Amino acid sequence: MITCPSCTRAQAPALACAGCGAPLGANLDLFAALNLPRRLAIDAAAMERAYHDLSRRIHPDRFAAAPAAARDASMRATALLTRAYRTLRDPISRGRYWLELHGRKLGENNQRVPAELAAMVFETQEQLEELRESRTPENLAAARARRGEVAGALEAAAVALARNFAAWDADGEEADERRREALFTELKATLSKIAYLTTLARDIGRELETARAA
Amino acid sequence: MAYSDKVIDHYNNPRNVGSFDKSDADVGTGIVGAPECGDVMKLQLRINPESRMIEDARFKTFGCGSAIASSSYVTELVKGKHIDEAMTIRNTVIVKELNLPPVKIHCSVLAEDAIKAAIGDWKKHHEDGAPAAAEPRKAQEG
Repeated sequence: MITCPSCTRAQAPALACAGCGAPLGANLDLFAALNLPRRLAIDAAAMERAYHDLSRRIHPDRFAAAPAAARDASMRATALLTRAYRTLRDPISRGRYWLELHGRKLGENNQRVPAELAAMVFETQEQLEELRESRTPENLAAARARRGEVAGALEAAAVALARNFAAWDADGEEADERRREALFTELKATLSKIAYLTTLARDIGRELETARAA
Repeated sequence: MAYSDKVIDHYNNPRNVGSFDKSDADVGTGIVGAPECGDVMKLQLRINPESRMIEDARFKTFGCGSAIASSSYVTELVKGKHIDEAMTIRNTVIVKELNLPPVKIHCSVLAEDAIKAAIGDWKKHHEDGAPAAAEPRKAQEG
């Protein structure tokens, strides 16, 4: 239980006071901050509504003349709300936050990239190197084809991520240790694959842009 | 961030850059990547099938100065070593030699992984009996 700094009402932690609507400055997880259930499938419309509604209610402008505790609470709650909205809006950062929420981190235990993915990244970087050295139509066509391949792989990874989210929401939180570990491993592998492919797509895009400008 | 003198030396003057023929049975190829920074590293070892000594090494790395220096240093480090000894090389040796800062330790981990991957690839041709059909995608030689 926490106490509202404005009306002193005691209540369960929330972003805004259930009584007077003032911000509480409570330490909430990002789902709770947005009044969302702790689920990975998010109702985007509900999240937008909650974000805008809460933003208005706790906005620091409304507490400019209020006592220091309320002003401070408004500031902290607004920062939390913004972080929650930005993090949960995007499935990739939402997935990363899910790991954080469960005390896990991407890149821990030196999780290896699958050999096939590393080989594909290496081949692509070699192709881009060749393209930098000589901008032949063949090299350009190869880079464009690669861009398509990477985009396709990213789409497939997004589907895999959505499947992992659905598995968590179905029974992942209550599942036994082994199942949970398998879901965490899969989530980490998918997120790192997406990170790798995103960097690669950016590199290809830059190279093609440079070639076009030349 | 300031690189150490040794990193700069390896970066400006990388040792053993290049590649061996992947299909050569005496060559083990390891390609490893770091998704956090987008780096990718290829290490190739020429291993004598009788003595199991690493006779030569080549690398090619796309990545930051520390990743390039780590792989360059590793090619020097493994040459002349028995594969069993090379398998015990820990990334901390690389960190110490190159004076890598904490944010670049993953580069040394990548180089350690590359040794293991390359030796593992070589062993696939030499121990499992079956020729390496497991490598799903072969890079075309440039």
